Amino acid sequence: MTASSDRAGRLVANRVLLTLWVAALLASALLPFAAMAPNRLVSGEAIKLIVALTTWQSAGLALLALLLALAALSRPLSATQGLRLTLVVAPLTLLLTLYALGDYAGRALAEASPAARVSQGAAFWVLVFCTLLMIVDAFQRLRAPLWVGGAYGLALVAAIAGLFASGQFNALSILNEYFNIQDAFADQLLTHLRLVGLALAPALAIGLPLGLLAHRRPALRGSLFGTLNFFQTIPSIALFALLVAPLSALGDSFPLLRELGVKGIGAAPAIIALIMYSLLPVVRNTHAGFAGVAPATLEAARGMGMTRRQVLWRVEIPLALPVILSGLRIVTVQAIGLTVVAALIGAGGLGAFVFQGLGQYAIDLVLLGAVPTIALAVVADFLLQILVAISRPAGGR
Amino acid sequence: MIELQGLTKTYAGKNVVEDISLRVESGEFGVLIGPSGCGKSTTLRMINQLIPLSRGRILLGDEDVSRLKPEQLRRRMGYAIQSIGLFPHWTVAENIAVVPNLLKWPRARVDARIDELMNLFHLEAGEYRDKYPHQLSGGQAQRVGVARALAADPEVLLMDEPFGAVDPLTREVLQNEMLRVHEQTRKTIVFVTHDMDEALKLASKVAILNQGRLVQYDRPIELLVDPADGFVSDFIGKADLGLKLLSRRWVDQYCRPPCLERDSGAGRHSWEVDADGRPLALHGGRLSDDGEARTAVNGEWIATPEMTMKEALSRMVWFRVMVLPVIDQAGKLIGEVTMEGVMGRQP
Ligand SMILES: Nc1ncnc2c1ncn2[C@@H]1O[C@H](COP(=O)(O)OP(=O)(O)OP(=O)(O)O)[C@@H](O)[C@H]1O
Ligand SMILES: [Mg+2]
Repeated sequence: MTASSDRAGRLVANRVLLTLWVAALLASALLPFAAMAPNRLVSGEAIKLIVALTTWQSAGLALLALLLALAALSRPLSATQGLRLTLVVAPLTLLLTLYALGDYAGRALAEASPAARVSQGAAFWVLVFCTLLMIVDAFQRLRAPLWVGGAYGLALVAAIAGLFASGQFNALSILNEYFNIQDAFADQLLTHLRLVGLALAPALAIGLPLGLLAHRRPALRGSLFGTLNFFQTIPSIALFALLVAPLSALGDSFPLLRELGVKGIGAAPAIIALIMYSLLPVVRNTHAGFAGVAPATLEAARGMGMTRRQVLWRVEIPLALPVILSGLRIVTVQAIGLTVVAALIGAGGLGAFVFQGLGQYAIDLVLLGAVPTIALAVVADFLLQILVAISRPAGGR
Repeated sequence: MIELQGLTKTYAGKNVVEDISLRVESGEFGVLIGPSGCGKSTTLRMINQLIPLSRGRILLGDEDVSRLKPEQLRRRMGYAIQSIGLFPHWTVAENIAVVPNLLKWPRARVDARIDELMNLFHLEAGEYRDKYPHQLSGGQAQRVGVARALAADPEVLLMDEPFGAVDPLTREVLQNEMLRVHEQTRKTIVFVTHDMDEALKLASKVAILNQGRLVQYDRPIELLVDPADGFVSDFIGKADLGLKLLSRRWVDQYCRPPCLERDSGAGRHSWEVDADGRPLALHGGRLSDDGEARTAVNGEWIATPEMTMKEALSRMVWFRVMVLPVIDQAGKLIGEVTMEGVMGRQP
């Protein structure tokens, strides 16, 4: 690398931040920020960011954008200072974007017909995602301890929740949709969580011993992983559908099972399919966790006079736990997502809104199912990440 | 005391250990040595039943170990291996405490034992007690490994190339520590190595294995002087091995009472001492066999108890005598070392 290109390259300290910044800027300029429709079912007129925002809001957003650009450059701020600035400015940008959308909806609807709807546009989503990615990226670069990230995330969530609670978004179409289905929403959220829990518990109860078995009996490993892999390759909708026929047959021939909820449609096939999908990651990670324990450690443990049980509980499990929990993290996030599809066979859950919305061409309803699902997955992922960190032996590996 | 009787291990019809019989007396330092793959580790691991034996018997004291539960047996035998195998999720103290905890010693006794062992191995307890294995140097980790093996005061210590993975300097230090610890604890030790220097330095007795068979089991000096066959002499036949051996032996180990009587037989020598017991002269004992020649003792051809035998031997050669007076700090004659002694006896 020549000296001049080196210097040019050094002008930008954080390429990721710069890329996100450019993406956000382009989206704000080219894509609609909001959409204004005369009623729920027609797609509305596109509103650009510059039109939607008040002068003050625009000025504020421009200032924040300038600060973010500054954070991405290598001068005058140091890399760490740049990241810290990002962690201050990016969430402010996010909050201002959210506030501005709600504010615009309120102003626009004040002079429109009661049936009129304001919904968020592509530029809004791009802004939200870009600012969130900026925050995540800054945290990764700073290598901040997990609890700092947790506290920060909590504060951000609280701020956004505050905006919701203050009624800032009540004018938005998606919130209208929410108010229409408020009770059903709570029900389906619980159903969603229950489906995930009912699938994960057996998946762990079966998968953990199977993983240990795969570790202890290398001869079984091939066929076991082969079978589980096969489940994984079946597309989820197909698997759900495939389970309908045998389960309804079962339920029809055994009334007792039917009473227990074994039916062709509903929760039973959904849970079974989720278990089948969850098994592979659980088994694979459990096996990998046990296989990762150094043979010398095991020889020492046995040579010291530990019984098989003691070796398992005092040495193998503690050392394998972080990898096993990483597996749990994968399947939890995966199950939260897959449960959306389970709504197709009548299992309920947040997916019900997604498919209902798709059927009615009501995008807001789709979002009402999708956004909370994503939020659930992110939260679960984060909590399990903390659990993995805690389970990591203090001595490292 | 540990005794192997006709110990045999067969893998897929092949005897990797074949009919090994030997006995390591209480307090002895027994070393198994041989080329790679000759069955040293297999033998050791049969002793603590990590590997089931195919034929033969192992006695610990007068108990047949096959009568004991493997876990109980292993808690009575310390075990240290080349790869150490410290538990990465436990601190140094917790690692050392493994067997005492398995034996359910009371807390206070375990703590006291940890301190005692860390002291014994020159590990500053204040600094290292709560460190994790990955924070230790190779030598420190190895010390912790050996300390852990000794923790519950086992009857026997089994060690499989415990110093194989550390640098030569550290190995030397650890060997000296091992000698000192053996001196202090008088444990019965079965030690595996493929390093002849290490074997000669540490062993009371060396077992040389080849292709699963015991070729010779003897004191180090006897291996040198009287190798059982060509394999043994090839295996130990490095040029300066005898001198190396003597450089690790001390005069007091070879010292015998001085002969003060004149005319006690042909070819014998005797010492002339003054009123304080200081040697004045040697009668006889010269290389040339003029038995009566009188050689005045001077300040240089004497030996002290803490002198190495290598040094004593080189003085004998230099002054052309078959015997050296051993004197204490006051200059008093307390014994003698002889050329025959070097060749014949091995403490
Ligand atoms: N589980 C096993 N199955 C079959 N053969 C084995 C098994 N374990 C060891 N062997 C064979 O037994 C022989 C002795 O092995 P052992 O580990 O005792 O050798 P060693 O003397 O300790 O060698 P090294 O100095 O290399 O450690 C070797 O030839 C080895 O290949
Ligand atoms: Mg070996």
